[in-house]
Amino acid sequence: MNFKRLFRRSETILIFAIIVLSSIIGIKSPSFLSIASIFDIFRSSIVQLIFALGVLIVIVSGGIDISFPTIGIFSGYTAVVLMQRLELNPNSLIVPLVASVIIGVALGAVNALVIAGFGIPTLIATLGTAGIFRGCMLSFVGITFISEIPVGLDNFATADLIRIESPTAPLARLHILIIPITLLTIGISFLLRRTMFGRSVYALGGGSESARRLGISTRRVQAKIYMLVGGLSGFAGILFVSLQRKASPYDLAGSELDVIAAVVLGGASIMGGYGTVFGTVLGVLLINLIKGNLILLGVSSSWQRAAVGVLLLIGITVQAITESKKVRKRRVSTNEEVVA
Amino acid sequence: MFQLVLIALFILTLFSATSRDVFFTSYNFTSMAYQIPEVAILSIAVMLSMLTGGIDLSIVAISNAAALIASYIMTHHLNAAGTTPNFWIVAACLIGILVGILCGLVNSILVALLNVTPILATLATMTLFNGIAIGLTNGKSVSGLPEQFLRLGNGTFFGLPTPFVAMIILATLVSFLINRTGLGLKVFLIGTNRKAAQYSAIADRKVIMWTYVISGCLSSIAGLVIASRTSAASPDFGASYILLAIVIVVLGGVNPSGGFGTVSGVVLATMVLQMLSSGFNALRFNQFYYLVAQGSMLIAVMVLNLVLEGRRKSRSIHQSRRT
Amino acid sequence: MRSNDLITTEYGVENIVKSFGGAKALSGVSLSVSGGQIHCIAGENGSGKSTLIKIMSGVHAPDSGLIRLGEKVFSGLSPREAVHEGVQVIFQDFSLLANLTVAENIALPTFISRDSRFINKKDTFNIAKTALELIEFDIDVNLPVAEISIASKQLVAIARATNLDVKMLFMDEPTTALTRKEIARLFKVIEQLKARNVAIVFVSHKIDEIQEICNTITVLRNGEVVADGKMGDFTRNQISQAMLGQDLLETRIAPKLGKSGSNILEVKKLSTRPTFSDISFTIAPGEILGITGLLGSGRTELAEAIFGRYPVDTGEIAVDGKSVALNSSSAALAAGIGYVPPDRLTQGLFLEQSILRNLVAVGINSYRNAWGLLSKKRVKDAGNKWISDLHIKTDNSLNPVTSLSGGNQQRVVLAKWFALDPRLMILNGPTVGVDIGSKREILEIIRDRAQSGMAFLVVSDDIPELMQICHRVLIIKNGKLEREFNEAQMTEDALYKELS
Repeated sequence: MNFKRLFRRSETILIFAIIVLSSIIGIKSPSFLSIASIFDIFRSSIVQLIFALGVLIVIVSGGIDISFPTIGIFSGYTAVVLMQRLELNPNSLIVPLVASVIIGVALGAVNALVIAGFGIPTLIATLGTAGIFRGCMLSFVGITFISEIPVGLDNFATADLIRIESPTAPLARLHILIIPITLLTIGISFLLRRTMFGRSVYALGGGSESARRLGISTRRVQAKIYMLVGGLSGFAGILFVSLQRKASPYDLAGSELDVIAAVVLGGASIMGGYGTVFGTVLGVLLINLIKGNLILLGVSSSWQRAAVGVLLLIGITVQAITESKKVRKRRVSTNEEVVA
Repeated sequence: MFQLVLIALFILTLFSATSRDVFFTSYNFTSMAYQIPEVAILSIAVMLSMLTGGIDLSIVAISNAAALIASYIMTHHLNAAGTTPNFWIVAACLIGILVGILCGLVNSILVALLNVTPILATLATMTLFNGIAIGLTNGKSVSGLPEQFLRLGNGTFFGLPTPFVAMIILATLVSFLINRTGLGLKVFLIGTNRKAAQYSAIADRKVIMWTYVISGCLSSIAGLVIASRTSAASPDFGASYILLAIVIVVLGGVNPSGGFGTVSGVVLATMVLQMLSSGFNALRFNQFYYLVAQGSMLIAVMVLNLVLEGRRKSRSIHQSRRT
Repeated sequence: MRSNDLITTEYGVENIVKSFGGAKALSGVSLSVSGGQIHCIAGENGSGKSTLIKIMSGVHAPDSGLIRLGEKVFSGLSPREAVHEGVQVIFQDFSLLANLTVAENIALPTFISRDSRFINKKDTFNIAKTALELIEFDIDVNLPVAEISIASKQLVAIARATNLDVKMLFMDEPTTALTRKEIARLFKVIEQLKARNVAIVFVSHKIDEIQEICNTITVLRNGEVVADGKMGDFTRNQISQAMLGQDLLETRIAPKLGKSGSNILEVKKLSTRPTFSDISFTIAPGEILGITGLLGSGRTELAEAIFGRYPVDTGEIAVDGKSVALNSSSAALAAGIGYVPPDRLTQGLFLEQSILRNLVAVGINSYRNAWGLLSKKRVKDAGNKWISDLHIKTDNSLNPVTSLSGGNQQRVVLAKWFALDPRLMILNGPTVGVDIGSKREILEIIRDRAQSGMAFLVVSDDIPELMQICHRVLIIKNGKLEREFNEAQMTEDALYKELS
């Protein structure tokens, strides 16, 4: 165990920051240090975490995706609309879930076509597809706010695994989603660290030409990435609809910033090749910790976005400074390699 | 550039033919002429940052912030008659522009000095500036701006809409800057190959800083134009303008990886997109079709560019065989 | 000269043609290598040898021609198929993944060739350890590749390519960063692979190495095979002549040093550990000083430190007797120092811009008119002047700089600095990738400038080039100046020996 390296890792700094912040909040408002709060943080982080896992994969591969919330709400909203129009069994949970994921994968395939197929830079590509998806959703699927979502989805919002009622303390509810989400998180971590696909994602981030020369079929990996992220976004979208107990096509817009902030804070480098699931989880926790408790910290909730902005700014500044220190340390010049 | 003119003419004829009564009227053209400037100025701001190989995603946040602060000052000094002393209007505008410059400076420091990737840096500043604007106003918009100010946004200057004139002046200035000054040439070189620029002893960091500061300044002016035209300033205005601005610059011939672009292309592309929006409106398409059109155009133009660039590269290498 | 021996072909290419855009890189190249044979491809930069490797390993597809790998024949293949067939390449730029560990870099190709879906940490470790033991290189396999030295990177790339599954191995200039000991170790590994019946293709322009290790040879020039056959059938001169295409005019052209004024450059105990330490030397007006050493010896960092692009911890630099703090390239320019970087395409030129813009890229402010604006006339005049002074072959200065040949492009890079009339010009690899005729002319340009008093610092690993043009040559090893050779002491053998 190399202790020095352990200390420098961004995950350690994050854990430290989370502990410090929790302590501050706890001191100011002791009711925070309760099981109810911990469960609440989990509940408010679910959707963001799923999105963040997808964004992590994209960022590690060296790209960036800003269409994921649009894919999410498109999939979720359309799933609900389809259930209503096609008069499918409203009690079912599986149907909307599967439908949403499939739609998400299909939209992700569009991204895959534009990015892996045509080779368009990822920011511009996903900016364009986000516009197309949003426009199509609002034009062809609908603009109505649906407050009566199918029963199955609605009931799922209160499907708690653990429910602790007490007259003195606030209601502590741990949603059942903790099991599948934990499995999903572990699964993605395994995918990234132990499978060829996962290592190919890192290889892509390290250098797409070098990865290609090794025999990794970079286009296929990229296509899979964006379809996987599409599916994850679809999953997050339907869960959002369920947990919010409403379906509005105008939701989730603008939430890409919080998710990207969480992933970047979690240690993923925007240049690609670096990033871990654990870091992402910590990043999501930190963002939600701050956003959810600003009032307890003495800040009105209208400053939420500014707080995220400050966090992100601190995160990227720290990253930039450590990067330049690393470059200075690595004093063996690497631009000696002249390719003839 | 030539293709762009063709596209412009094509769209003009198409919409004029299909919806003569609504589209091809002086009312419509005038109203377009009032809406084009703010988008054009924002697009020129994006173009500048793109020329150096970066991007400025915070333009809308900056424009809203500037508009909000200027509006706040102006409405704060409204007297009983519902007007504001000219001094305060001018002061408010200057302060608004100062806000833009300061925001641009923040971007500069992040991108040029700290070497943060422009995408990430401007995403962060966009969040920050937007967040500060929401925090300061509690998410509400400022309205009821003084009449004299509104006259600027809705009035005319020698027969042309004032904002349009402002756009022409700014466009000319920026065009002059990039084509006739040393700074402009340095911008193009840095965007083409930053490493080579460094090896040519060009002060790349200073030049990049200037582009983000000027971009911020332009964004704030756009914000003032918007406030003046709509008589309101809000922290959430124009969220879709970013996509629009990027479609415009790409359509206008700016290379997203840097090194090439013209102001006239951007202005022309703005007009094309505005005609498209207006035409869709005249044909009673629902407004979201425009969104789909923007996204599709962006991707289509990028694909086209890639194809053309492949052909251009082979042509120039072919030339080398002859020398 | 073609040998008539026909060895049973196991691996090879037939009539490969490849063009990039309009430029022909390979015109009808054929060669064959069998397992257990070490075949050399010799050629200068630009001869097409790198392209040939890329085609045989699937990185590029040929326009026409066949690729033969064992029993199978391909008209084009993907990198994945090549890896499947047991083809491994050590590329000139190593193609390592800096964000992954040494172990992963070494083991990944194995996993790919096995079509593995899951990556096991223990497997990764073992594969890496075994491969490293084969070449007797010990390194912590859990280090990220980004953190190891260049020589280590080259050895990791070699380990990656030489592990158990390889059937055909390409090595593109594999010894550029290695010491004599490491080269000997590499050759031992190659002999072991030969014994295992691996077909080996060794690409190099270093004739000594070629003669030592190879059994058969193919010489490429301008995309064509100009000679092939058994190694023993060729003399050193024959190989050299085949590679260069003409009798190389290698006579010395360094001008006589006139009466020297005070030194233009004085470097005193310059140190930035561990890259270079205690560097001291001087350059007089009109003097051409050479510096050479292995890749990774610190030669480029030293050059860039004098140009203000690499930090200096201790020591002093003085130009024309005045001490200067060179903390940026602008400071260097102001002090009268110019730099021509080693990689013309990515560091020296603005490829998508015109020749004219490339010519005025340095000191743009000096092309302004009285109003502070860029003077079109001044720019155009400067362009025309340098095009004619340095004989840059083009019909229009507004053509893109990519329309020029390598030699002409290098002249553009030189011209943009000459326009500022620097006191000292640092040239790093001035004739790399330049055709033979242009090489000589560029050296003559350097000589002419030196005669007018400009001082030159030439960093290069091209010994013949250094011998033609330099008054003195310094040897740098592991960051320290080891020896100095003056005109009398400069012999090819002595210099080559130093580079080991």
